[in-house]
Amino acid sequence: MSEHQGGGEEGGAHTPVGTRRTFFGWVTKVAAGLIGLGLAIPLAGYVISPALKRRARPWVDVGSLEDVPFGDPKQLDHVTTIQDGYLKSQSQKAVWAVKQPDGQVRVFSPMCTHLGCGYRWDGEEKQFKCPCHGSVFDIEGKVVAGPAPRPLDLLPSKIENGRLLVVFKEFKPGTGDVVEL
Amino acid sequence: MRIYQWLDSRLNLKPVEQTLLDEPIPGGASWIYVFGSATLFLFLLQAVTGMFLALYYAPTPDHAYDSIQFIEEQVTFGAFVRGLHHWGASAMVVAIGLHMLQAFLYGAYKPPREVMWMVGVVLFLLVMAFAFTGYLLPWDQTAYWATQIGLNMVGTVPVVGEFLMRVMRGGEVLGALTLSRFFAVHVLFLPALLVGLIAAHLFILRRVGPAGPWTDARASLGSETFYPRQVYMDAVVMLVVFAVISALALLVPFPLTDKADPSDTSFVPVPEWYFLFYYELLKYVHGPLEPLATWILPMGVILIMLLWPFIDRNPARNPIRRPVALGAGVVFLVVVLSLLGLSVRNLYAVPRIDPAVARGKALYAGFGCAGCHRIHGAGGAVAPDLSFIGDTRPEQAWHLKHFKDPQSVSPGSFMPKFPLTDPQLNELTSYMLSLKKTP
Repeated sequence: MSEHQGGGEEGGAHTPVGTRRTFFGWVTKVAAGLIGLGLAIPLAGYVISPALKRRARPWVDVGSLEDVPFGDPKQLDHVTTIQDGYLKSQSQKAVWAVKQPDGQVRVFSPMCTHLGCGYRWDGEEKQFKCPCHGSVFDIEGKVVAGPAPRPLDLLPSKIENGRLLVVFKEFKPGTGDVVEL
Repeated sequence: MRIYQWLDSRLNLKPVEQTLLDEPIPGGASWIYVFGSATLFLFLLQAVTGMFLALYYAPTPDHAYDSIQFIEEQVTFGAFVRGLHHWGASAMVVAIGLHMLQAFLYGAYKPPREVMWMVGVVLFLLVMAFAFTGYLLPWDQTAYWATQIGLNMVGTVPVVGEFLMRVMRGGEVLGALTLSRFFAVHVLFLPALLVGLIAAHLFILRRVGPAGPWTDARASLGSETFYPRQVYMDAVVMLVVFAVISALALLVPFPLTDKADPSDTSFVPVPEWYFLFYYELLKYVHGPLEPLATWILPMGVILIMLLWPFIDRNPARNPIRRPVALGAGVVFLVVVLSLLGLSVRNLYAVPRIDPAVARGKALYAGFGCAGCHRIHGAGGAVAPDLSFIGDTRPEQAWHLKHFKDPQSVSPGSFMPKFPLTDPQLNELTSYMLSLKKTP
């Protein structure tokens, strides 16, 4: 290969040297870099996005307002549709509804704030009692006894056309702060 | 660079680097040699996108379709990643075809490279197997019915056909077992085989060296190292290929058809374009000659391809001095491309039937409408002829109202009210509207 083309010898074979060699190496690196970026960015988004997506929390009809007697907490069962990736499943969830003097309803998450056990209403002592570790809450959800670190968790609720609607959420148990899961 | 030096001082990498990069290319680097690298690049792209698709894909009839829909609609860049995999598959068939064509034209299968050619033919067959098994995985109507036909074709092979078909299908019917074995073959068995054979292909290449130009004059120019010029050409082509596939993935939507419905036999599947020539061929061969087209001919072609280095004993590599081989190659190409062309033309000549229209037609038959109505000469004559009702009554609303209560829009009509559900109303209306002079 003639000198002005920048030829060299490598083990009996010609090879470009100098600026030509640099140019070819540079183009190769740019091409590899562009392909790499063109794949890495979409693939990173592809892996990360569903992991960070929050589930949509719809308003769920849990029952008629008339079902909730004044001054006596009532457990309302409802079926909620859970979207788990590409799977849709139906799950039965319960909430505790307490009718207030002004006609509004407070809705408590059905899990004890200590470790997430299901609690029940003791109609005689007028207290919520958790069977797992003995936490006790009053009708307002305040901690009366036991290891529970915070009051019962309130769920967003509203009343439409005499029906009680709730957004079902779960909260991290065992902490003083309310942390939604 | 310092990490490289540190490693080199321990692992002695320089000789490896020299072996890889300073491979001599007879006659110098050329753009005509890029197809092998392009095919290898596409394989890597398929492997990467395939691994990522597997993050969300579920290989069961219950969930496969939903999981692909999830990738398409819910996952960021999901449609892009699936598009890359889809178009990458087509591109791979093109690249491997061009690569084989170049090897054929250059006589690169001649001694001492016969084994490299044969391994290459097997690699090509593996790529087709990838295409066939991958096609079923979305579990939509196209996937289901195309695979059904593919398997039935295997069933036409005499004596062992039925057995082979059942083994491939994993049972009596195309179902859960078929999907899971197609998935396993597509993502585990075939990749393992392919990687091994690619390694063999490249190993042979390095043992015997590239064939280089077919004329001694050009070959005598001396050889050039693989790096940097051939690497640069390969890299540029890979970037172009990647850009084209990305553009297709972004711009040409590749929607799923309806979820696979084994009971819906009205669906007309269309195979992928690279199987179309074969699909077209089967239209012309019927009856006792069918096995000739379904397996004798393909088997013959595959055998000839595989053994081609031993069939073509002419030592010359220059195409001008190989009229028989070149003639055979040209005839083969012309036949395949003509069948492909014919098939594409036929596909576009036949209007694709809206599935709602097909269901409406079934309802028309099911409710015995032909007892009174006539379409193109078939049916009773006591009620209006519906052959061109889509032209004479083009309003959808009229039909919907009419089917619910014929007397409401056509007083005095003796047509009874049929108990139709809303989807059925729509389907029957779609069918009515499709009855036109010009489809």
